[in-house]
Amino acid sequence: MLAFTIRRVGQSILVLLVTGFVAFSMFTYVGDPIDNMLGQERTQADIERLRDQLGLDQPFFVQYWNFLKEAAQGNFGLSYRQGRPVGEILVERLPATLELAFVSGLMALIGGIGLGIFTAIRKSGALSSSIMALSLIGVSLPTFLIGVLLIYIFAVELGWLPSFGRGQVVDLGFWTTGFLTVSGLKALILPAITLGLYQMTLIMRLVRTEMLEVLRTDYIRFARARGLRERAINFRHALKNTLVPVITVTGLQLGSIIAFAIITETVFQWPGVGLLFINAIQFVDIPVMAAYLMMISVMFVGINLIVDLLYFAIDPRLRVDRSAAKGH
Amino acid sequence: MTDTPDHRPPEMQARPSRLRRAWESDFIYSFTRSPVAMVSAFVVVVLVLGAVFAPLIAPYDPFNPASLNLMNGFTPPGTANQFTGDVFVMGSDDQGRDVFSTILYGMRISLFVGFAAVLLAMTIGVTLGLIAAYVGGWVETIIMRIADVQLTFPAILVAMLIFGIAQGITPPEYRDQVAIWVLILAIGLSDWVQFARVVRGATLVEKNREYVQAARLVGRSGNAIMLRHILPNVLNPVLVIATISLALAIIAEATLSFLGVGAPPTKPSLGTLIRIGQEFMFSGEWWILIFPSATLLALALSINLLGDWLRDALNPKLRA
Amino acid sequence: MIRSTLTVLAFAAAVPASAETFRWASQTDPSTLDPHANNSTPVLSFLGNVYEGLVRRDRVMGIEPALATAWEPIGDGEGWRFSLREGVTFHDGSDFTAEDVVFSYERAASEGADTASWFAGVTDVTAPDDYTVEIRTKAPNPIFPDSIANWLIMDSGWAEANGAERPATTEAGYATLNTNGTGPYRVTDRQPGLRTVLEPFDGWWGEDRGNVTEGIFTPIDNSATAVAALLSGEVEMIEPVPVQDADRVEAAANVRLIRGVEARVIMYGFSMDKDTLIGGETDGNPFQDARVRQAVAHAVNVPAILQTIMRGSAEPASQLVGSAMRGYSDALPDRPAYDPERAQELLAEAGYPDGFSFLLKCPNDRYINDESVCQATVAMLAQVGLDAQLDAIPVRNYWPELREDQFDMYLLGWSPGTFDAEHPIRFLVATQTDRIGTWNFGGYSNDRIDELLPQVQSEIDEDARQAMLDEIAQIVQDDAVYVPLYVQPLLWGAADNVDLTQREDNFFNLRWVTVN
Repeated sequence: MLAFTIRRVGQSILVLLVTGFVAFSMFTYVGDPIDNMLGQERTQADIERLRDQLGLDQPFFVQYWNFLKEAAQGNFGLSYRQGRPVGEILVERLPATLELAFVSGLMALIGGIGLGIFTAIRKSGALSSSIMALSLIGVSLPTFLIGVLLIYIFAVELGWLPSFGRGQVVDLGFWTTGFLTVSGLKALILPAITLGLYQMTLIMRLVRTEMLEVLRTDYIRFARARGLRERAINFRHALKNTLVPVITVTGLQLGSIIAFAIITETVFQWPGVGLLFINAIQFVDIPVMAAYLMMISVMFVGINLIVDLLYFAIDPRLRVDRSAAKGH
Repeated sequence: MTDTPDHRPPEMQARPSRLRRAWESDFIYSFTRSPVAMVSAFVVVVLVLGAVFAPLIAPYDPFNPASLNLMNGFTPPGTANQFTGDVFVMGSDDQGRDVFSTILYGMRISLFVGFAAVLLAMTIGVTLGLIAAYVGGWVETIIMRIADVQLTFPAILVAMLIFGIAQGITPPEYRDQVAIWVLILAIGLSDWVQFARVVRGATLVEKNREYVQAARLVGRSGNAIMLRHILPNVLNPVLVIATISLALAIIAEATLSFLGVGAPPTKPSLGTLIRIGQEFMFSGEWWILIFPSATLLALALSINLLGDWLRDALNPKLRA
Repeated sequence: MIRSTLTVLAFAAAVPASAETFRWASQTDPSTLDPHANNSTPVLSFLGNVYEGLVRRDRVMGIEPALATAWEPIGDGEGWRFSLREGVTFHDGSDFTAEDVVFSYERAASEGADTASWFAGVTDVTAPDDYTVEIRTKAPNPIFPDSIANWLIMDSGWAEANGAERPATTEAGYATLNTNGTGPYRVTDRQPGLRTVLEPFDGWWGEDRGNVTEGIFTPIDNSATAVAALLSGEVEMIEPVPVQDADRVEAAANVRLIRGVEARVIMYGFSMDKDTLIGGETDGNPFQDARVRQAVAHAVNVPAILQTIMRGSAEPASQLVGSAMRGYSDALPDRPAYDPERAQELLAEAGYPDGFSFLLKCPNDRYINDESVCQATVAMLAQVGLDAQLDAIPVRNYWPELREDQFDMYLLGWSPGTFDAEHPIRFLVATQTDRIGTWNFGGYSNDRIDELLPQVQSEIDEDARQAMLDEIAQIVQDDAVYVPLYVQPLLWGAADNVDLTQREDNFFNLRWVTVN
């Protein structure tokens, strides 16, 4: 166990280094931050002085090394755009993304499991066939289009829900939350649906498949032969056995929800880290981009590592293969 | 890493010779019994034919700038333009392009990008997956760690990174021409991991089966065993994933367009058309958004439904 | 350095439901609250509510007294003397005196200050007494008072106490997040990129101020989302309204469209200093021939662009500044007519009867519908035989690539910071040196213009100055140095129950807002 853990942690660190390197090498191509930092009356001398101050004139490897050195101490530098420490900005923006991810994840989980069970039990019913087909619409349209259409219908035409932002938020000192106000909760609805739809479809289909598998096993057949009621079989026995893979997948999906939040946050002007990242690209705010990508990597690698270790702890013989759990 | 009972979803599990048998008997039978599959297949075939024969079907050539007249811009569907008198079935867009023709041409690009990207992802993924599982050892570790690096990043981010770098190193005068290839590369490279993982998993199972052991005993080479014996048996899940990946790739292309890294506006894909169209949602020119979106939905939905059916059809356990 | 605002336990958005709350949205958040760190419209427009200059612009762009009550030339063009307003206090209560003006000059003109170019001709600034300031210039500068409306005055004592003596450009300083101006509003909450709250400053010296008791600014960079927010009543004002949504906003109940003409002229420029084109096989560089550039001017159907893509919201441009700018040349009211036959003749005369291929570079997120305009241009040029390869890229890559000469023809928008015709000549037309011609990417060079420019800059006599500007405008048009297309429209959307003023420089003044 210890050897395995050390090896996986080592590999994870290597993965982080490589990720950082790839991300960093892209920054050379995203553009030049200088033009956003200087007005139109700047001179060539101004450009060169600023480039020197930012260390942009140094060779790529020097920049990367400096970045790593600072990052190892938890210092991601100063945002070019705001001039403030990047860590501070990320911490400010993280609650918005996490609350959105949480709500959409919860929605996906409840909706997905519920519909999954329904479509598995009523396997050939017309309603469940329709649900199966309709659920695919959610994965057959790009997220941004779903968001834009929802805004048009519910915010502009019907005027029921806000079209952008988090509404009123309450500052708890370390966390800003939208859960405590009516407008904050209303503001969550459309973005959460936009973000959660894809995951909901995924979970629903997974639950259905797993349920169908389990319902066919000898163990359930035996229960049925013993004369247990259908409801008891479905829920007490079949569902219980289904939940393990579902929970694994959901855990892994949490990461991709946060990543996919980039698009949702852009459409809804949701002030989370995804919007921060997109704005950082627009303004070539390299420290913010780097820190965001590293944060996402750490999160994904962390989740991967934990799941691997859990599998290992539960059953050392278990082959670690969670390919099905990955969306896109 | 040892072999144990398979906890993966059914589409990831391989059964020996299932493909051929299913293909020969159950497969066609199942198809003719599924109205959803037949309708989906019909829609896909119609759309693909429309895309392939776009130059013959489309009333205009929207990719030829010299043929465009800006005064035709924003003509509603089926009405004559007030300046030129031209009529467009599905209306015209901001550049005076016929929306119907642009959709047909755009679908060509979307489908081409989709197919090519999936093919690329599949080739890389299947090859690496087979090698990883069959060779094992440090080769496997390296391949699967690379897969991990890749999975660390969500596909959309990976595609953005690849697109950014490729655009950066392409001289500007060629960017327009290479944009499509860059998209294929970006989407393809961001999607191979799925294939690799599935193939590796299936291969690990197959590798220890008796027929492979037997082939090894009679002295067949590793390559031959992989290609002749294992590959056909792991193709089932690959086919299912490829179908779903095709829909995903087409949508990913649209999403990338929204993020500003898509096909160029002079040679738009469906995604680019939607990105442009959504700017006109409030202004009343709904046809610029709705027709391309509906086409994309029809295409992706049909492919997804086909994939869904395919998964069930290739996995007879799930059938009633 | 400022610590995180998160340590404050507060109901951040406990908004009283009074009618005097005014919420507005714009595409860009001011990147800093430091008035000398970034010379850009989003920053200076926003800070104009908080800080003030010696002079300010009124609703119709005229210069009027602000912190200075009067000004006069010193001697024979040696500089300008300003008499300062007495009894003015900063938001923290300290008095405004000449010392603050001298300090603000030193700060705004320091190396690293983005506003330094405003003071390029200034030799020194002195304070003979507490309420007089003398600004001396190298050469006579007749438009100096006009050029400093955005030079905002900071409290010297406050800046020194907080270590903000110099503008913070790469690293946030105290003044990046905190303000202490003399203006009509003070910043009570600042969350960069999210929201900024303004409240009236009770000690303000001025009179002309509406009834807003709380102004909440939110950046919304997706323009469709901004329109949705306006239509659904979540904000009272947005800028800009995308041109395609203008009619919708105009027609919708409870909101209205405010239409104006911006100072920004959209034009095409050409690469003239390269020996070959990068986007084609042609021998030599056809754009060095003025006839080829004129052909482009005739080939672009500007009326059609204005009619469709700009939806009738923009004005055609015949020169590098719009007609509302000082120094506009009345002798040149019309741009070259749309005439594809003439364009083909000119191309044939220049030796390119079959046209040629080249690279057209455009930004796709900088100007209103920039990508659409370039796309339409590709079609129009194709009709006269010119094969333009369009490369439309985000603005973050655009300027670096223009600096590296990666273009044959390109789109440029220019808004004259001084609202004077001299400004684009200095930056776009003058032969490139370290200080001037810095945006002359095409490498145009004309001795006569280089000779006239310094004379224009120091000429006191209005008529003589205008004569020189007319001559330059004529040369620029004859040579087709640039092909001006149109002046960008200024479209704001506002709720029906608010009165506000749209100024031509796209500055937004909260004090001109009245909520009914």
